[in-house]
Amino acid sequence: MSACENPNVDKDALMTRRQKFDGKTKICVKCKEIPGRIVIRYAVYCKSCFFPLIETRFRKSLEPSINVIPDGPRRKGLHAAGSLVIAFSGGIGSTALLDLVAKTYFAPRKEDLEKLKGGKEHPRNADKDVWKGRPAVCFVEVCGAFPGDRDRTEEIRAVVESYPGSPFEFVPLRLEDAFDPDWWSAIGRGDLPSAARSLGLDMSDEDLKLSPSPVEYTPLDALRVYLQSLPTQTAFFSAIQTLTRVLLLHTSASRCASHLVLGTSLTSLSVNLISGIAQGSGYTVSEETKEEWNPRVIDGLPVRVVRPLRDIGMKECAIWDWWSRLPVVGRSRRYIEGGGKNAIGALTRDFIFGLESDYPATVSTVARTCAKLTPKEGSDCTCVLCGRPVQHGVQEWKAQISIRAYEQASTAVSGNTRPPHLTEEEIEKLIQVPHDTPHSSLSLTPRLCYACHTTLTSRSSRGTATSIAKGKSVDDVPIPTWVRAAMYSFLPIHEIIAEDNDDEETSLGRIKMTRTDMKAQIADFLLPDE
Amino acid sequence: MAPRPCALCQKAKAMVKRPKTGQQICRDCFFYVFETEVHNTIIQSKLFSPGDRVAIGASGGKDSTVLAYVMKTLNERYQYGLELFLLSIDEGITGYRDDSLETVKRNQQQYDMPLKILSYNELYGWTMDAIVSQVGRKNNCTFCGVFRRQALDRGAAMLNVDHIVTGHNADDIAETVLMNIMRGDIARLGRCTSICTQGEDTICRSKPFKYAYEKEIVMYAYFKKLDYFSTECIYSPDAYRGHARAFLKDLEAARPSAIIDIIHSGEAFEIKEEIKATQKVQQTCQRCGYMSSNALCKACTLLEGLERGMANSGITDRVRKKMEAEGPAPENLRNIPFFTQASGSPAIAVSVALDAT
Repeated sequence: MSACENPNVDKDALMTRRQKFDGKTKICVKCKEIPGRIVIRYAVYCKSCFFPLIETRFRKSLEPSINVIPDGPRRKGLHAAGSLVIAFSGGIGSTALLDLVAKTYFAPRKEDLEKLKGGKEHPRNADKDVWKGRPAVCFVEVCGAFPGDRDRTEEIRAVVESYPGSPFEFVPLRLEDAFDPDWWSAIGRGDLPSAARSLGLDMSDEDLKLSPSPVEYTPLDALRVYLQSLPTQTAFFSAIQTLTRVLLLHTSASRCASHLVLGTSLTSLSVNLISGIAQGSGYTVSEETKEEWNPRVIDGLPVRVVRPLRDIGMKECAIWDWWSRLPVVGRSRRYIEGGGKNAIGALTRDFIFGLESDYPATVSTVARTCAKLTPKEGSDCTCVLCGRPVQHGVQEWKAQISIRAYEQASTAVSGNTRPPHLTEEEIEKLIQVPHDTPHSSLSLTPRLCYACHTTLTSRSSRGTATSIAKGKSVDDVPIPTWVRAAMYSFLPIHEIIAEDNDDEETSLGRIKMTRTDMKAQIADFLLPDE
Repeated sequence: MAPRPCALCQKAKAMVKRPKTGQQICRDCFFYVFETEVHNTIIQSKLFSPGDRVAIGASGGKDSTVLAYVMKTLNERYQYGLELFLLSIDEGITGYRDDSLETVKRNQQQYDMPLKILSYNELYGWTMDAIVSQVGRKNNCTFCGVFRRQALDRGAAMLNVDHIVTGHNADDIAETVLMNIMRGDIARLGRCTSICTQGEDTICRSKPFKYAYEKEIVMYAYFKKLDYFSTECIYSPDAYRGHARAFLKDLEAARPSAIIDIIHSGEAFEIKEEIKATQKVQQTCQRCGYMSSNALCKACTLLEGLERGMANSGITDRVRKKMEAEGPAPENLRNIPFFTQASGSPAIAVSVALDAT
């Protein structure tokens, strides 16, 4: 026994760790010639066998989903319905992903294009690319959420443009674009009507009421107010992930992309799955691995979100980057994976990384187990905030398992079930449903999935990452443009018109709704002049 | 600063901050909402019918002590019409179970409920002390878990009850969801959030505290002045579960709703049909008649290993193959009594707690 061992621990009770790699020698399991240089799931590989191994896993995860009919025969080649968007954060996973995509599908052709039989415009040659058009590399700069943090857009641009032949178009985005009506308009979603632009969210209670707000924010201020208003650190980082994801989806749709590829490694996927389940998104657990998002615009292609590194661990991605001499210029994971130590994302990351060293199979077990799950029931609507399916009866479930007000439990507050410490009069007073104020009829709550509603409402004594600025309240919080656009369609038409008339009189700084906007809203109900 | 009024009744002074909702409420409202939520769980899931004989799995710990009290309260308040029993399992752990069984016996007197204590020694011929002396501490939780589950069913059959209720709380269920995902136990993952589990021929088991936070159960016991015995089992070095439990506590500290959010997640998904089709069909154990997914149930497999001096045969393939190579089980091997379902009248006379001492 060495001096530092604890003599009180019964050795029999400790779990022994498995040997780091199987077999008696350190020779590569693939070529069986060269000494191995990396251990992947107990197997040793040499450097020259490592690269084809990763490329094969990458293609095996991506290619079945490229053709219009997924998992179908691929003998006639790979032909996507639209273009490709690659999400790039500059981190370990996405750096490996960009490199793999570039080398596998966009490496400069060896043969001279001029010498192609029939010329490069000949259909036989023109149709050689897997995706239509030039692929885009999309980077979302999140420094707006972290005051004082530097902008990395130019460093990312340099990495993207360093690939030979410049195969990629760089599309920089900023997190605050989520609150920018001009961005919404630029991606072809049209101008936000004034009634939608002015909607403010009341986060002070679980109803999440929307009402016209007199305050106008710049997109950056709107982002900061939104994030500062969130009740927990978990919500803060979860909101950044959601905003980033939806920005990427809308950008992909605007470019007629059929595929959005993310650099989520197996390790990150396991973290996301457990973290998502811990935040109540079990209903959409399958979306975390494979997702098809419908942009709901005329002629819009569904965007298939693929994670081609889902069978490759983070360690392998890091080795790929290192051996390929790729610069990893992204932020540390504390920014993009739920930084603060009191956020569920960060706790899960630390937990899974810790388990990975003692129980190395855990990471792939989590991913494989979750791949066997499916939602219990279908859904006919999507969450206005995250765009994922909404489960039925979420609010009823919440009300049933925890009584938060006596009016909610009015059916139980009768006969022998009455609270024994209250008089009849007191009970009657408590179960009276308060009358709605004129603007309180529009609530975000029924349009949200369980996880998003919990993000916006679940509180903790620890509070959020950054405290809300003095003088600001949580009853008038700006919301992302896609939420404004979606909620606008639920506004009663008379309220829209009435509010816009009020605008002129009260001079609240809102933009008056144009006649064209109004007409577009009621076009189906107008009869021709004749 | 003026005292904050209760967020629910707006009348009394707030005394507690509810771990589940974060609301500051008075003690009477806490009792009312805690009990009513358990009642809602029972009613929504249609757990009982009038006249049911229900055994409360009682360990003497906080969960089962509060469960016995709440079940008695709700049965009287809402006229469920249940006949309640206490059923306790004595694993034979010196210095651990001895003390907690005293709590159960006190509950028997306080609540005036019949009590049955069934011991591992009586049923399997082994105490946990004896098992640990053979297998060590590494895998003893496997033996205890498998033996306890079957012992509860057999005790319930002896009491001729229709239903067993256990004190599993929301924290336990959330922890089990996480554990099953991380261990890849897809069969258990599919059923661990069900409030009621019932095999083809076993007694219905349910968890009325499914949505009750552990902290609230302690709070309830504290304010109601219920006494219980609280000690971690001296043989519980389940490192993996320990990791999961610590992780869950961290999650709860970060966001208290995490526990209920995990349960919601677990209820929202199910196993894909094509995966279900590959799972083993339930059958009955050839040796003891208890439900099993193999020819021999897990308890018989573990017992055979113990009896033949190869305790790990039920745990590792290598030892199992070694035992199989030594030939079939000898005929004089000690077996678990054959399991028979409740038949309408109690198979045994219910012992009074004081007699059992």
